[in-house]
Amino acid sequence: MNEANVTPQTGQENADRYTSLIVALIVFTTVLAAVLAALQADANIRADTANRDSQYLTILASGELTRSGLESNYELTVFGDHLKNLQEATVLELTALEQETDGKDKAAQATRALAAISQASADMGKKFSIFYTDPRYAPPSENDLPNTDQYLTDAFEKANEIVARQNQAADAYHAWDYKADTYVNALTVLAVAFFLFGLAQALKDSRTRLIFVVFGVVIILFALLITITTSLL
Amino acid sequence: MKRSNWFTSRFEVVNAMLIAVVSLTTAFAVWRTNVMGSNAAEHSHLGLIDAVKKQAFENENYRKVYEEAGFAYQFAVKQAEVEALEASDDPIVQDQAANSRKYLLPNMQLLAQPLATDEKYQNTDGTYDLQKRLADMQSAEESQLDPAASFARADSFFSQERWLVVGSIFLAVSLFWLALAEVSSERIRSWQFTLGLGLYLLGVLWFAGVELIFFFMRRGG
Repeated sequence: MNEANVTPQTGQENADRYTSLIVALIVFTTVLAAVLAALQADANIRADTANRDSQYLTILASGELTRSGLESNYELTVFGDHLKNLQEATVLELTALEQETDGKDKAAQATRALAAISQASADMGKKFSIFYTDPRYAPPSENDLPNTDQYLTDAFEKANEIVARQNQAADAYHAWDYKADTYVNALTVLAVAFFLFGLAQALKDSRTRLIFVVFGVVIILFALLITITTSLL
Repeated sequence: MKRSNWFTSRFEVVNAMLIAVVSLTTAFAVWRTNVMGSNAAEHSHLGLIDAVKKQAFENENYRKVYEEAGFAYQFAVKQAEVEALEASDDPIVQDQAANSRKYLLPNMQLLAQPLATDEKYQNTDGTYDLQKRLADMQSAEESQLDPAASFARADSFFSQERWLVVGSIFLAVSLFWLALAEVSSERIRSWQFTLGLGLYLLGVLWFAGVELIFFFMRRGG
């Protein structure tokens, strides 16, 4: 009679063993899953924003390269034209001097007129050229050449700056996208932990229950490790 | 103690109804959160399209202004050449200058318009104001394109999505606890039910608060 009373109590105790621990673990897993879901959503949004910024900066960089290309093409054409006219004027002046020396005065006069035309063109080109009007590139004296290297550096500086920002945004996109993917992995792992704890809750045998709990805890620790290392990246 | 059956247990029926309500609310919250995500993506996309259009306008404007600048430069140089010819003592050269001024320069000036024809683009030193010409080239359609405004709106939707996700998580967690209360023993189900209900109410309040705040922040949008 006594035995009959004792046996069900032991069975009940056996069935209830670890119940509180499993509930606590389920609560912890739920909270962890909630935190992970929020982190994943946030990482995803940041990845989307960085991806958009990267694309926007690509458009701006492309536009800036077009603009600086057109501008430098114009400036270098004007500068080249000016140099050509200047050399023509010099050569024609020298020719006129030679002609004067040879006694060909009329020819020298005509050549001088041509030299004057070339000189007028060169002077006008100088007014139009940024290499003579901008103090950053203008030659310090008559005999020096303009600072074309500085001009080319300045002309593409803005484009290079935009490209650098675009690279940063692209890197940020990859980093946040990687984080978002890793959080999804951690959430998937947590789903396994949920399954194991649910199974442990349903089982009656305390030893089998404990085995599932231990496996569940290992999986939670693994998910925690993924979450912490990813968050610190 | 004799336990009542499923249909007569008031707690289980009430809890089951609450689970149904919470499930519907969670589904609605997740849908609404996704709508915000879609709106954000749509405005980001719109901003990028506007940026491409604006850039296309700008590229065309720059191409055109430098094309005009090239013609205007050629006109200015030819004009200087003609002036040099006119300064010559040789009557033959002067005739050439006269013909160039009469026939060549007007045609070159036409080609170089509006820089060479409109006084507002001409600087005192004989050069042209390209920046002013570029500013005048901007069309009304181009001025209306504002990628930054679309991106700001997208950011607002992204922000709302972020906060709604938190609300959706409250609702999902409350659903979990209510479901647990349904299957747990009577000893612990009451606090599980209370926790689930509390989280549900918190989630609903959170959700409504986020919606209202962003509604007013976007001025009804």
